[in-house]
Amino acid sequence: MRQAKTAYSGFLSGGGIPRRHDPHLLPLARIKKIMKKSSVDVKMISREAPLVFSKACELFIEELTKRSWNMTIQGKRRTVHKEDVAHAVATTDVFDFLIDLVHPNTSHHVDLNEDLEKKQ
Amino acid sequence: MDDSTNKITTGDEETANQQEMLLPIANVSRIMKQILPQNAKISKEAKETMQECASEFISFVTGEASEKCKKERRKTVNGDDVCWAMGTLGFDDYAPPLKRYLDRYREVEGDRSATPQRNEEEGRPSSSLAQFDPTLKPF
Repeated sequence: MRQAKTAYSGFLSGGGIPRRHDPHLLPLARIKKIMKKSSVDVKMISREAPLVFSKACELFIEELTKRSWNMTIQGKRRTVHKEDVAHAVATTDVFDFLIDLVHPNTSHHVDLNEDLEKKQ
Repeated sequence: MDDSTNKITTGDEETANQQEMLLPIANVSRIMKQILPQNAKISKEAKETMQECASEFISFVTGEASEKCKKERRKTVNGDDVCWAMGTLGFDDYAPPLKRYLDRYREVEGDRSATPQRNEEEGRPSSSLAQFDPTLKPF
């Protein structure tokens, strides 16, 4: 796993850990909004949950970006296009939940089961 | 977007609403650039797609986590629930760095532990993550 090479080393380096949230991380309030919108079942969210997501989203974006880049260089290009992202999604099992999002044949949905049935 | 006469206001409102549900493109871009080689470029569309994917990721995982809370009759989705959901949905690779990250955060917060957390249902510390193993978490 690559070491934190950017300035957001506050939590990971262990030294001089700021009390305030490191500005390089993703905005927690926004994350919380997105979480709340995801389901009517979501009532309360602990302070830690958006924090976990801020790191998880970073890892997610990194992974999807790396895989997209693989598609880009396969096409002998240097610019990552939307199609590269779509291709990366299509070839990675764990990103199945994104298939409709990057290949919009149907409208956006939240119901994964419904989506699986359509694909059968 | 279907009312062309009010296109300016409703279009702006819709855009604003949509933007609220996305992580800022600047942040997303930065993360993408950090992982790519220096000579790589990223189209605007690809960045926007990544924004949407990230939001979908949050929704997807949150949905799973909140379902678990519902089954267990808990009102608050906490960090452990999110980690568990990620493990369940196939993002096990994220677990070690997340755990390190959360441990570090808790170390810091531990110094201020006199302050009760807001939104915590019972005020108990979420120490179960110390034995983090998504596969062992009971449903």
